[in-house]
Amino acid sequence: MYLSSFLASVLEQSAPILLAALAAMITLRANILNVAVEGMMLVAAFVAIAVGSATDSAALAFFAAVLASILMSQLLALMTLRFSADFIVAGLGINLLAAGGSLFALEWFYGTPGGLRPITFPDIWHVAPGSLSFIPVIGPAIERQSIILILAFIAIPLSAVFLYRTPTGAYLRAAGEDEHAARAAGVSVVRMKAISLAISGLFAGLAGAQLAMDKLHFFLPEMTSGRGFIGLAATLFGGGHPWVTAAASLLFGFFGALGDRLQAFSLPSQFVLMMPYIAAIVGLTLARWRIHVRNRPARIVVEGSA
Amino acid sequence: MTNADHILRLSGISKSFGEKVALKHVDLDVRRGEVHVICGENGAGKSTLMNILAGIHQPTAGTLILNGREVVISDPIEASRLGIGMVHQHFALVPSMSVSENVFLGRNLRKWGVFADKAAMVARTRELIARYNFRLDPEATVGTLSVGQRQRVEILKALAFNAELLILDEPTAVLTPPEVDELIGVIAGLREMGRTILFITHKLREVKAVSDRVTVIRHGESVATHETGSVSEADIARDMVGRNVFLVGRGNEQARRPFGPTVLKLSNVSMTDSAGRLLLKNISLEVRAGEILGIAGVDGNGQTELSEAIAGLREIQAGFIELGGRTITEASVPERQSAGMGFVPEDRLDRGLSKTMSVAENLAVSNYRRAGLKRGGYVDQDRLEAFAAEKIREYDIRGAVPESPVSTLSGGNMQKVVIARELYRDPDLLVVCQPTRGVDVGASEFIYARIMAAADRGRAVLLISSELSEIFALSDRIGVMYSGQLLRIIERKDADEVIVGALMNGSLEAAA
Amino acid sequence: MTAARFKNSVRAMYAPIASILLTLALGFLLVMAITDDPLQAYRDLLFANFDSLGSFALFLNRATPLTLIALGVIFSFRAGIFNVGGEGQLYAGAIAATVIGVTFAGLPAIVLLPLALMGGILAGAFLGWVPGVLKVRLAVDEVVTTLMLNIIVLLFTSYLSNQVIRDTKSYGAVSEMVPEKIWLPALPGVPGATSGIVVAVLLASATWVVLFRTVWGAQLRASGTNLRFANAVGIPADQRIIVAMLIAGGLGGLAGVLYVLGIGHRFEQNFSPEYGLVGLTCALLARIHPIGALATAIFYAMMINGSAYMQISTDVPRSLVDLLTGLLVLLMTARLATPKTRS
Repeated sequence: MYLSSFLASVLEQSAPILLAALAAMITLRANILNVAVEGMMLVAAFVAIAVGSATDSAALAFFAAVLASILMSQLLALMTLRFSADFIVAGLGINLLAAGGSLFALEWFYGTPGGLRPITFPDIWHVAPGSLSFIPVIGPAIERQSIILILAFIAIPLSAVFLYRTPTGAYLRAAGEDEHAARAAGVSVVRMKAISLAISGLFAGLAGAQLAMDKLHFFLPEMTSGRGFIGLAATLFGGGHPWVTAAASLLFGFFGALGDRLQAFSLPSQFVLMMPYIAAIVGLTLARWRIHVRNRPARIVVEGSA
Repeated sequence: MTNADHILRLSGISKSFGEKVALKHVDLDVRRGEVHVICGENGAGKSTLMNILAGIHQPTAGTLILNGREVVISDPIEASRLGIGMVHQHFALVPSMSVSENVFLGRNLRKWGVFADKAAMVARTRELIARYNFRLDPEATVGTLSVGQRQRVEILKALAFNAELLILDEPTAVLTPPEVDELIGVIAGLREMGRTILFITHKLREVKAVSDRVTVIRHGESVATHETGSVSEADIARDMVGRNVFLVGRGNEQARRPFGPTVLKLSNVSMTDSAGRLLLKNISLEVRAGEILGIAGVDGNGQTELSEAIAGLREIQAGFIELGGRTITEASVPERQSAGMGFVPEDRLDRGLSKTMSVAENLAVSNYRRAGLKRGGYVDQDRLEAFAAEKIREYDIRGAVPESPVSTLSGGNMQKVVIARELYRDPDLLVVCQPTRGVDVGASEFIYARIMAAADRGRAVLLISSELSEIFALSDRIGVMYSGQLLRIIERKDADEVIVGALMNGSLEAAA
Repeated sequence: MTAARFKNSVRAMYAPIASILLTLALGFLLVMAITDDPLQAYRDLLFANFDSLGSFALFLNRATPLTLIALGVIFSFRAGIFNVGGEGQLYAGAIAATVIGVTFAGLPAIVLLPLALMGGILAGAFLGWVPGVLKVRLAVDEVVTTLMLNIIVLLFTSYLSNQVIRDTKSYGAVSEMVPEKIWLPALPGVPGATSGIVVAVLLASATWVVLFRTVWGAQLRASGTNLRFANAVGIPADQRIIVAMLIAGGLGGLAGVLYVLGIGHRFEQNFSPEYGLVGLTCALLARIHPIGALATAIFYAMMINGSAYMQISTDVPRSLVDLLTGLLVLLMTARLATPKTRS
């Protein structure tokens, strides 16, 4: 079915963006603008391929990728929380470190600066084709999707539950929204931020693993192609709420898939790709505009003044 | 009175911050179940004392005896464990969370170990609300609540974990009169339930309305403790203000010459915030050439808004401002400067200086043209240095070289930089706010001399200060700001610091 | 100059020199770990740039855009704006100059050159203006807007270079060549090096003069270090900040123009080895001082260019420099506080 295959490609395109968006969202709720999602994803992708081809185990590759990403996130946490580095500059530094480091590893350890393409590579679990055909349209779209994609969609409600139904989630939100209030209540703001970065690393790791291991089985130096930033744009547009962020990610994924199909038509794919970023700027501007209007001093109602 | 009747006993509490002595051998007894007010002027040390009880500061000397045992209150969590609940002036609430979520912040009840048991927290909060008769909805989002309601949430937070001793820091500072009455009712109710309440305020009406006893703190010392029933507001005001020694003053002299024409005129000036609250209520005043009009008042009663309105930093919503006969209500700051206004803001680090820029640049920033430091668009470095060096000499700015960043100077010397800059233009109107806050005695005297010299030269001066002694030392006329209103303007010779002090503290009894 | 003023200038060089030394030390450690001949590697990394006129030219060509972007960053940071949009401003300037040069190739050089120049500068300035206005009027976070704009511009230039002005005779996403008549002259004596380097050095000095020796500059710095203070003393802070952002973007755009007209002579989709981020780093390492940034930019150009030679003569891959840069950015922001603390 054409619709199913389109839906499948929407889901596929959305998965890394969704995970990147969730990664950015968790930190955003702790009042951190995490620009390092891109770098964490890249490191995860590289480690996935490297470990997978060395051990021939998809599971090991998967866990190693996620671990690597979490470690990067904690490096960022160390620099910013313990050593007072600026979040943005340090985040960009992590991205540079990830890009440079992976390129360096390619050149030095593998001698293939163009990328890492192992001849054979273990496959991660995918939904068996034909197993879900009983569900119209959506069933076939989910078939052949990787476990990580399933995890990504599970991550949406999990994030919501974490943020809104667990104590740690509540404390994390408090630390992000009003440090003073959090501290007065005995919540450690530093700890909450570190936790948010770790979870961010987890999601970014999943995103990187998905990129590398789902269909491609290889690593290219710039394979994240800005998805980390699209995810960030989705979160900013969604104001940090899990379901809106997820919706925005799916929307951007939708347009990504659409863009592929529109290559044949007149609309250049680049304009489609620009949309998340324009949306983020517009969304933020509108939010600020509303606050600006709300904060205007009220008019004085002149009746008989006292 | 035996120890058992005292829930709290402070002996010889002293606290210094570096060289600054905030508290000197303060003794305080608080009886169980009473409402005890701590009263005093700005900077007297009341907040520091309460912060020690809340575990935010540690005393440098003295002992705390709580329920008969000596304790060390190491941090806010410890204070809470000991049964002390503090309600700060600036609320520590998360606006997007509900009342119950805020009450249980940091101490969530858990369900199955992992999840937050929201239902239980809501139920417990509801119980607490009912017990204390607070009229709050546990599930309401704090951001939607009024200020008075939010305060009740703060009090609830303090009470929720078995606080026996409740400390309220200037609780009525942000409330409207009906909300104040509500709060007084809440406090009475809490007292009936056996809670002990310590209450910081400078507002005499409230002291009389709700307390059993009142302790007055002045300049870091406990001056007196009275049974509220046996003192008048005037007595308390006298204790708060005391008999001060005035520095160089023109107060008791006759005015040396008649004042000139009106330089600054405010007519029916009002200012609102975004919620419609009136920050300035129908203010009218005049300052004549050669005159110093002192506006007394406790911080937070509209003085900041008044000074910013006159300086052009904030819009007003009603009324007019005239400078030298010209209307400047809509004028920008540079236009007001050209019209002859100089402005010394109340917080020099916030608005008066750029910490990282040099002394010379801070002195020159609004004076380039007038001091001849511009050549085309360029700054003549030699002239700039000479200009700065001259000002440093003239104002005796210690520890300064023109190039040094202004942050290297002490508070008093920084203040001199601001004043030197503003007085350089010899403005027809000098608006000066809290001129000697955080400034040592020597520099203060220098600054007072400069202000008076400006008036002697025929300039108009509007002095806004919460320091009564300096208002009395410098002013020809004295006005009092309270709650956004200018209560009264009286001639210096008719003013008595007790009356003014009482006015500042909202005592209508003394105003009569 | 008085002794004190001279001392201030010298003190401003401490940060860049310290960071250069730290980079050298760290890099040497890395090189030692991976190669048998670290000295040879390092010699090539740094000094191969001066081995021949050709390599010297390439090094200068790298220094030009880096310096200009760093200067742009300095203007914006001094205005209190955390501008990370250098890459986008660079690309905007480059593509604008290319499109103008290619589309109006018929015009005489004396018209076409200034037109291309202005077009590129204005394109960059526009990209500085948008985040500036949004920040000043609505307090929209400038980091987000500049970051997003970077990507938007990159996508837009990709579109233009792939679809509109593509040179179909060549391989890859490259544009047609810009007419030779508007190519910038080479530096006398150094064939292959663009005279744009002279512009960069002059502008570095000019930036210093504007920031530290003019009234406008003093007002800008006041607005950037304490906005409430600037308002209180009557400085039109909003205006100063927006103009500073126009200049900052314009400098980034100029970097792009000088690249296209002086070095590449055409637009290539990935011509920039992260000049934006490295330029930002150079500015921050020099504590946003223009002359210090010139020094760090020159040093980084040496390293970026030298890494190619290092790779040829030893087995050290050139991506070592990228790795090193990443490490350095992380370390340097930890040790020193950045000029503007973000809330």
